[in-house]
Amino acid sequence: MKGIRQALRQSLAVKVILSTVLLSLGVISLAGSALNSRLSDGIRSVSLTSAIAESRFTFFNAQYQMLLSQGKTLEERKQIIADLVLSATTKGVNEAQREMIFLKAPNGRKTEVSFEMSSSMIKVSSVPKDLRIKVQKNAEMQYQYGMAHYVNAVKGDSLFIGERINIPGGGRYEMYLVFSLKSQTGTLDLIRNSLFFTGLALLILLTMITWLVLRQVVRPVRDAARIATQFTKGDFSQRMKVTSQDEISTLAHSYNEMAFSIEQQISRLENLSRVQQRFVSDVTHELRTPLTTLRMASEVIYNQRESFDPLVSRSSELLAAQIDRFEKLLEDLLEVSRFDAEVAILEPVDVDVIALVNRCVRDFGLGESHNNSLIKVVTTESTINIRADVRRVERIMRNLFANALDHADGSKVVVTILATETEVGIGVRDYGSGLDESSLIRVFDRFWRADPSRARVRGGTGLGLSIALEDARLHNGELDAWGRPNKGAHFVLTLPLIAGSSIQGRPISITPEDFHQESFYL
Amino acid sequence: MTLVMVVDDDQDLAEMLGIVLTGSGFDVDLVSRGDEALEVFRNNPPDLVLLDVMLPGIDGIEVCRLIRLESMVPIVMLSAKGETQDIVRGLEAGADDYMQKPFRDKAELIARIRTRLRRTNADVVGLLSIGDLSIDVTAHEVQRGSTLIQLTRLEFDLLVALAKDPGRVFTRDALLSEVWGYRHSTDTRLVNVHVQRLRSKVEHDPEHPEIVMTVRGVGYKAGGPA
Repeated sequence: MKGIRQALRQSLAVKVILSTVLLSLGVISLAGSALNSRLSDGIRSVSLTSAIAESRFTFFNAQYQMLLSQGKTLEERKQIIADLVLSATTKGVNEAQREMIFLKAPNGRKTEVSFEMSSSMIKVSSVPKDLRIKVQKNAEMQYQYGMAHYVNAVKGDSLFIGERINIPGGGRYEMYLVFSLKSQTGTLDLIRNSLFFTGLALLILLTMITWLVLRQVVRPVRDAARIATQFTKGDFSQRMKVTSQDEISTLAHSYNEMAFSIEQQISRLENLSRVQQRFVSDVTHELRTPLTTLRMASEVIYNQRESFDPLVSRSSELLAAQIDRFEKLLEDLLEVSRFDAEVAILEPVDVDVIALVNRCVRDFGLGESHNNSLIKVVTTESTINIRADVRRVERIMRNLFANALDHADGSKVVVTILATETEVGIGVRDYGSGLDESSLIRVFDRFWRADPSRARVRGGTGLGLSIALEDARLHNGELDAWGRPNKGAHFVLTLPLIAGSSIQGRPISITPEDFHQESFYL
Repeated sequence: MTLVMVVDDDQDLAEMLGIVLTGSGFDVDLVSRGDEALEVFRNNPPDLVLLDVMLPGIDGIEVCRLIRLESMVPIVMLSAKGETQDIVRGLEAGADDYMQKPFRDKAELIARIRTRLRRTNADVVGLLSIGDLSIDVTAHEVQRGSTLIQLTRLEFDLLVALAKDPGRVFTRDALLSEVWGYRHSTDTRLVNVHVQRLRSKVEHDPEHPEIVMTVRGVGYKAGGPA
């Protein structure tokens, strides 16, 4: 049942064929039964009329014979009745079977002699009781359909016609003619069967025709659906075949035009994005060469700063620092443009993530204004081997450390590492100024700063966290942020053990374990 | 004096490089076109080549390939491009090292140039063996049986670094600092490419290395003696 309902929902062909079958079944059976009843009524009325005419003659003849037989001997009278019965009974083989029953009326005068008689084949008890009562009460001829039983245990639908007959000096009798309806029933059966099989054949033919017609309509629709699916999957070269000039081909034409237009739009956009990406990449590259010269020149000046007067000396320091910052910004911009152009490539290798994190912490203080001694790494494992892009994971860690230390206000930063069967989680928790809810939403936005008035002093490009997020997602991993005002922040990096496979959960929950909701609101 | 040939089409950068290198005690030959580089190289063979990738005439990668055909001189590529395919293309053309513009600082440049010029593994003398290879460190020769195998100086240094400490597993970072003189580990692509190049020269079947073995998740080590 469920399967049928599903097939109905999913297939236009099944739906149309099923409704065609049901509707034609209704129409055919209505027409068939109407035809059947008209035909059988007709046949019955014809045979009834002829049977009544025949009976009227027979009964009249019998009554007449009885009247003529007055004064004849008993034996002669019996012979007359026997002749009547015999003449009324079927003689020919081809004639419809006809029997006669001659009965004494029960309320008639008692006489010693009984003239009761019947044709040899029929059982006298076959005459329906109702008919006998009607015949006894009415002077006119009566008829009724009923079942005739024959002595050889055969029975069959029959028409019983009866009338009262008076035998002068012999009492009241009832005479019945029994017309077998066997041939008529046969004819009716034949008609019914013919109607049934004609209807069935019609139904099958209709179904086949529907199917053939449907195929012409449904096939192009199915083709269109298949082509549209492939189109959706990115194969923009797919087109529908146009073979005729009907509505389907109009659909195909419009579809093809749409596909062509989409293909053009997409290639135009692709072109634009390629141009844009090329431009950003070229700009960045073009900036690199002069920046190299600038950098070396500033370094030469910077190294001589002790021989300059204090103002020039300070200027050379600022120059060197700003060139550093400029370079970082340039690198980050280039990286962002790679992500935007979707040309960032993952280069995964096997690596021990704990060693990687420890190395990041160790290297972190070098050449930067941060104090890496505040970072504490907590883990229960000694090694966790994952497959990841080392350069990117290191960059994520550097960005998270820089962010945490920037906001830690000199308090510690705790790094937790935890692995499951499928992924590894790295949590970076600080206990600084924290983040409110509106900041949490924007924390990964480009150039967004939690506190514009103070963050400016800290350095950093403002792109670090958004690049970290992109780096994490390139691994099919995730980077989540948690924070509460003055309760610090918690950034959790979740990476699949094999870069590219999906993560099932979070080994480290985003809300840090040392934070209790209740105590926060108390 | 040590002669460094600087090939860069950016006049200002070339001049600046000249100032910095001269300041550090090198002689400098400045060339601004790719198609002139080879002629200058032949007329006045330098001890090291600093080679920009994007050059007028013929590009740096082609220049690198042409120099490599006739010399084992150390070549350090300079590139404004940091994409993997650019770097790998340069290294596969035979460059020993590459530096992405802008350099971290002047000291980094000088340090890497000096590492390339220095006889690395100067403490090692005599004969070493790795797999079925024998290395004559003093004569700077690698032999399999009686067949001499031609290696660049860098490839030789890499092989010796592994061979002199047969049991040790070298991380890529360790190799970077030992062979290339990197003070910060940033780019391990360099190691991967050179290991592949070295393998293609010394292994029987580079797909199943027996001399430079990979230690999954860690790095590389020398194969045992055959």
